[in-house]
Amino acid sequence: MPEEKSSKSANPAPKNIKQIDPTNLGITWTDGHESVYKVRHLRESCPCANCIDEWTGVKRLDPNSIPENIRPTKLHSVGLYAIQFSWSDGHDTGLYSHDLMRKLCQCIECQ
Amino acid sequence: MSDQELQVNIIAELKTVIDPDLHKDIVSLGFVKNMEVKDGNVKFQVELTTPACPVKEQLKTECETKVSAVKGVKSVDVEMTAEVRAAEHSQPILTNVKNIIAVASGKGGVGKSTVSVNLAMALQMSGAKVGLMDADIYGPSIPKMLGIPITPPKGGADNKFFPHEQYGLKVVSAAFLQKEGVPLMLRGPMLGGIIQQFLQNVEWGELDYLVIDLPPGTGDVQLTLTQRAPISGAVVVTTPQEVSLIDAEKGVRMFESVKVPLLGIVENMSYFICDGCDKKHHIFKSGGGNALAEKFKIPFLTDIPLVSAVVEGGDKGVPIIMADPSSPATKAYTKLAGQVASQLSIIHADKDKPASTFELNWEG
Repeated sequence: MPEEKSSKSANPAPKNIKQIDPTNLGITWTDGHESVYKVRHLRESCPCANCIDEWTGVKRLDPNSIPENIRPTKLHSVGLYAIQFSWSDGHDTGLYSHDLMRKLCQCIECQ
Repeated sequence: MSDQELQVNIIAELKTVIDPDLHKDIVSLGFVKNMEVKDGNVKFQVELTTPACPVKEQLKTECETKVSAVKGVKSVDVEMTAEVRAAEHSQPILTNVKNIIAVASGKGGVGKSTVSVNLAMALQMSGAKVGLMDADIYGPSIPKMLGIPITPPKGGADNKFFPHEQYGLKVVSAAFLQKEGVPLMLRGPMLGGIIQQFLQNVEWGELDYLVIDLPPGTGDVQLTLTQRAPISGAVVVTTPQEVSLIDAEKGVRMFESVKVPLLGIVENMSYFICDGCDKKHHIFKSGGGNALAEKFKIPFLTDIPLVSAVVEGGDKGVPIIMADPSSPATKAYTKLAGQVASQLSIIHADKDKPASTFELNWEG
């Protein structure tokens, strides 16, 4: 029997997800990494089919159309692989996979 | 030596009994329960994480041999019990179900439903409480394979309904929601609606294992299930041919992308044993399932022979595992159940698990 299973060893997953302050979200990952996200950056990076063209991958969302004071209202897990955000502008169709969330990390180490 | 001192020595000896799947000794794992030592007569229970444990007898013998060898022990009575550990999940559905096993394939016709039925029966026959969900909405075949007549499910309070019961298994299927032989013709959103019903409105009661027989492919039903149900692990069924393996690989990748742990690969119709001899005839090539498992570094659970009695059993409504205990297919399914159960135990023992489901309301 193989010792390691690719499904759990391959990519880190969020271990703890919390609100740091009104504009920052924090995630601690299973590999120990700590990410801090500006919520506006997350809204701008929404991967849903309204914000990113599904066929061409071109961004359709105009960042200037996002209200200045954008905030999440609620977030919850989807299955075992993604996080869904509901935003104060009413948008809620984006499923942010854990892999995407990790890519969006803006710490010095990741960028 | 007092009985108390003796007990200390016995525990020390039991610490050398290692669970081969979890790689830890049975004392540290908390498996040893209710030890009584009286005048050198020793009695205790070993509580495993599944009644389908493939090494149950081996562990029992090892405990008996090692404890008997401890100086001062006159007799040893080991009872093997099991308490299935639950997956941690807080999604408000299927809360009384400890483990959810999805059985999937990339391609249709690989015998997924047959595997699901016999896997569920094998787990049930080991002593576990088992449910079977036929999520193949367009081609539900589980009722036929289990010989359950098509009758509407019994309704309960709050829009809930009860599963059918057969051979000690609890079963839901879209076949019960329609007239026999009449196809269900549905668009995507309706399909998701039925699955949602199966997840939320079925009075399963307490289950150790819920086996979900998925439709072939990587479509709506699979996505709804992986997004809504806290699946503990997935089994991917393939046949040995390359055309099947290509699609099985897609199935594996789908589960990887939605982070559902892969319990392993099953190669169905792996070889044929004729009536006359015991030789294995690999009529559709061989080794493909194993190669796929190695490629993705996931366990190869077992290969299942092509036996005509399996088909007969399915058509008559008596699964092979009940119809013929001596069939090589029955042995393969029993092995499969043991492997699936131990893989689930390994996953539960993994301390480095990611956060289970969560919900966060943003303040300010």
